[in-house]
Amino acid sequence: MTRKQKRLSVIIGGLAFLGAATGLTFYALGQKASYFYMPADLTSASLEPGQRIRLGGLVEKGTVVRGQGATVAFSVTDTHKSVKVTYTGILPDLFREEQGVITEGAFGSDGVFVADSVLAKHDERYMPKEVADGLKAKGVWQESKSE
Amino acid sequence: MVETGHFALVLAFALSLVQTLVPLIGARTGNQRLMAVGGPVTVTGFALTALSFAALAGAYASSDFSVASVWENSHSLQPLIYKITGTWGNHEGSMLLWVLILTFFGALVAVFGSNLPATLRANVLAVQGAIGATFFLFILATSNPFIRLNPAPIEGRDLNPVLQDLGLAIHPPLLYLGYVGFSICFSFSVAALIEGRIDASWARWVRPWTLVAWMFLTGGIAMGSYWAYYELGWGGFWFWDPVENASFMPWLAGTALLHSAIVMEKRSALKIWTLLLAILTFSLSLLGTFLVRSGVLTSVHAFATDPTRGIFILCILTLFIGGSLALFALRASRLTAGGLFHPISREGALVLNNLFLTTATATVLVGTLYPLAVEALSAGKISVGAPFFNLTFGPLMVPLLVVVPFGPLLAWKRGDLYAVAQRLMAAFAAALLAMLVTGLFIDGASVFAALGVGLAFWLVCGALTDLAVKSGFGNVSPATMLRRFAGLPRSVFGTALAHLGLGLTTLGIVGTLCFGTEKILSMHAGESVELSGHTLRFEGLYPAQGPNYSEDRGRFSLIGADGGIAAEITSAKRFFPVRQTTTTESGIETIGFSQLYLSLGDEGTDGSVVVRLWWKPLVTLIWGGALVMMAGAAMSLFDRRLRVGAPSRRRKPTAAMPSAGLP
Amino acid sequence: MLFWVIAAILTLGASLAVLLPLTGGGKGASSSNDHDLEVYRDQLAELERDASRGLIQPAEAEEARAEIARRVLRLGDVGQANTCQVDVPGTRQPSRATRLVATSAVLLVPLLSWGLYSQLGSPDLPSQPLAERLAKNPADSSVDELVARAEAHLAANPSDGRGWDVLAPIYLRLQRFSDAVTAYRNAIRLDGDTAAREAGLGEAIANAAGGIVSADAQSAFEQALKLDPANQKAAFYLAMALAQEGRLAEATAAWQKMLGLLPPDSPWRGAVQQALAEAANRSVASGEPAKGPDAAAVDAASSMAPQDRQAMIDTMVAGLDEKLRQNPRDTEGWMRLIRSYVVLGKADQAREALHRGIAVFGADSEEAKKFTAFAASLGLTATE
Repeated sequence: MTRKQKRLSVIIGGLAFLGAATGLTFYALGQKASYFYMPADLTSASLEPGQRIRLGGLVEKGTVVRGQGATVAFSVTDTHKSVKVTYTGILPDLFREEQGVITEGAFGSDGVFVADSVLAKHDERYMPKEVADGLKAKGVWQESKSE
Repeated sequence: MVETGHFALVLAFALSLVQTLVPLIGARTGNQRLMAVGGPVTVTGFALTALSFAALAGAYASSDFSVASVWENSHSLQPLIYKITGTWGNHEGSMLLWVLILTFFGALVAVFGSNLPATLRANVLAVQGAIGATFFLFILATSNPFIRLNPAPIEGRDLNPVLQDLGLAIHPPLLYLGYVGFSICFSFSVAALIEGRIDASWARWVRPWTLVAWMFLTGGIAMGSYWAYYELGWGGFWFWDPVENASFMPWLAGTALLHSAIVMEKRSALKIWTLLLAILTFSLSLLGTFLVRSGVLTSVHAFATDPTRGIFILCILTLFIGGSLALFALRASRLTAGGLFHPISREGALVLNNLFLTTATATVLVGTLYPLAVEALSAGKISVGAPFFNLTFGPLMVPLLVVVPFGPLLAWKRGDLYAVAQRLMAAFAAALLAMLVTGLFIDGASVFAALGVGLAFWLVCGALTDLAVKSGFGNVSPATMLRRFAGLPRSVFGTALAHLGLGLTTLGIVGTLCFGTEKILSMHAGESVELSGHTLRFEGLYPAQGPNYSEDRGRFSLIGADGGIAAEITSAKRFFPVRQTTTTESGIETIGFSQLYLSLGDEGTDGSVVVRLWWKPLVTLIWGGALVMMAGAAMSLFDRRLRVGAPSRRRKPTAAMPSAGLP
Repeated sequence: MLFWVIAAILTLGASLAVLLPLTGGGKGASSSNDHDLEVYRDQLAELERDASRGLIQPAEAEEARAEIARRVLRLGDVGQANTCQVDVPGTRQPSRATRLVATSAVLLVPLLSWGLYSQLGSPDLPSQPLAERLAKNPADSSVDELVARAEAHLAANPSDGRGWDVLAPIYLRLQRFSDAVTAYRNAIRLDGDTAAREAGLGEAIANAAGGIVSADAQSAFEQALKLDPANQKAAFYLAMALAQEGRLAEATAAWQKMLGLLPPDSPWRGAVQQALAEAANRSVASGEPAKGPDAAAVDAASSMAPQDRQAMIDTMVAGLDEKLRQNPRDTEGWMRLIRSYVVLGKADQAREALHRGIAVFGADSEEAKKFTAFAASLGLTATE
């Protein structure tokens, strides 16, 4: 190979690498990004079975049931609709009834949302942003209620 | 005292404006006196900022609730240590810490840069001053920590128990030392662009600063990761959370910069690329500050959220990133390109490293900002989490790790890949052996796990091989070898240590992810559970009283091989009455490099308690590896060559200086 | 005074940092090329060291040496081409532009800092460390400071039931309701329950919940009545609970019974009469259960003299009304105003507020529908 050819092959190799990386990134975005929904959005959304989503809202009052072992069932609501969620594991310390929560997981065949992670708000002043926006859009929550 | 601090802050802002304008004009017009203003002004600016910070820290320590920031973020019942660390545990104070570090680094350049070319020094200080001026203005206009309350409230509002932790107290300063350290590299780059030339001393100055910044950033990220691991009680060490990504991106870009700066120093090659990388690295640091501070991204850590601040920081970002990149586009063509090299060479390996690292940075950037873009286009809210990063970041990192041991062994300019491969045979054999042992003898090891262990051993043995080859192992007598080993430049040790640390971190990650086990169950007092060969007995819940909390301690006994109690592990639910908040303290027992990790859940009605247990093999190596990497960076910093920086003209030519070298 | 002296010294120091280098003689500066040459010399020395240690092969070392030499040569070329640009410092007289820059820089520091500080700072406010404030003579202290002192005492001796008992009603008056709940609970736990403590606890719980008499509060009031059947606070609030559940008739009966038993100078008389008037209004206006009385009314009833109470509520409602005139696109505000008028029994004004609110957003808007629905739920129709 001449010097020029060598150089060309290095450049082509580099570009091919970048192309592959870009392709992979966009493929992964399409496959692995999970959408955020509030319970009332779910009726309009078409979800494939087993598709991972984030479900956010308020923990509905009086729905938290601790089952056998470490499984907990509760409902997430945006006051319009609510969705049953089950979760096996330890709930965050800030998990409380009528407080904001974000769960991540997928719907099972029985229509119950099986969460593999549950995030509660970080401190008293902080409401998960998606939940706050969603609730505001639905006219349920207003700012500076806490203090 | 508080008002003195406030006044000092305002005065420091005024000085930073002088620091920006006067040396810059001096450098343009070639006026020596104007340029000379830069040094004293920078040092004075630092002294004033330090005074201001001390005043604020004093207000926090003495619970002076006439200061609004103290009232909002402190409480008289906090232990003194957390009162003091609370100074930077909030938005206003942390921004003041940011500029304190910025002015400190500027002052270091001013004090130790007397041997730099005068115009370069003046320009660097001017750019540093410009960054300082915008941040001072940002603080004074949107986040002034010295706003007063009259009459003063008698008690503060905040006593967030999650933040009362030493790890979290050290984490932000380390992170900021890293972020802000890259500002020096940025200033040097912009100064070179303003001048339109890159001095030979440029790379000699930028490299140690990159090392310093990189070292602190490594420490900061590791500290943050360890904090999240033990404090949040989820047992995870990395969540691909936007805030974590915000600190990880500058780290990746900084690692690339660290390597390309070597090429630049040794071979004067990759000049323009290194300049660009320095600009990008600091831009990512600013972006990191922006992402965390503006609350644009949802995150478990997000605190200060304020739209005016967000807009202000957006302006800062546009000014510095846009401005420096525009300057780069205008001036880059004026800079002369450096030496040539063969693709298979040390330079080639470092270019490959840069290619992989910058691409990895780009994927993290895309993953972090994509949800923002989607939301801005109102196409719904999405979150990009671990699955995305595992799919994109992983495939980019694995080939990079595979080639790491080759790099330091290749010769400059034109290397012999075959010879290097031969030298690495022993390391390869060790890696293969580790792979086979893992695959054959450890239950439940997948192919991935075996490959991962092999990769980690490959890195560790490769780093050791580097040291062995450079001390002449096999070619010279053991005595000579020992002498040569002792005489190796520190930077060689630095490289080997950093790569070794990388191998250890890899081993820790692979061990935890592939061999870790977990159990969630509800236990009654007296019950036992087995996890990966360790037997734990739950002894029961015991109430206890802390200084500002009460807690229920769950006591567990680790049963040894002889049936006796080998260790006691305690996990607790703490209740802080002032804020009506509960936190969980995880119980961790370190066994070798591995850890047993357990965390208490809710109490059941029948007296049982939900317990989550993890066995995390080799998990401490994740952070131990980071410490070794930091040690490597520190070792490189103490290399005589870097300490010299730019040689002073007073130094006599050494005897080693050959006349033959100057044809 | 001390502050101004320090500020002046700091300003002087900062100005000197600008001024001194400007007046000092320029050091003999060197051109950038000299610096580069030094670096290359050092690189050569380093190369020799590496070569003598055997870190690099002799051939490689030779090549590197040649390369550095080429750089040095190139430096010579560039240096000659650039000589016109290399500055000749110190020899030139400072130009007028330079003097202008220097003067404005020296002036900028004091002018900007004093100007900006006068806008931002509070120079007259001394530092107020907490320990110092608490060490003052109690007679000079504000209520807040006294409370803080009591809190500090209780933090050290959390089992002092009497302390909690004293502090709890103070919390209630300071509207720190959740603290009051904790204090009452502690007092009851440590010193046993009395009617006053239980009633106070109930009041604190109700106020913490914005005036709603919850089940917790109710049980506390019931406990208080059990201990002292004549406890007026408990009786009042239990009736309030009935009213909030929509059992207006029972509530009215309870209040009327209470009115009969109250001594003529009792502070509760006014509150009960007010509550009765509201209940009567509501049952006339709607005949159906409505939401509980405005939280503000409950707060007022519990913590103010009765004659001030009405005035305060009126002022608050008028303030809200005024705020909405200035800033009308506030959906929540309109709903609050409408409810306030309904609760106060001013149906005409409520109706007027409803019309105004609808006018702001337009009759077909989402908000208008929401207002109408909301008003209807309070028993208010848009037309008479």
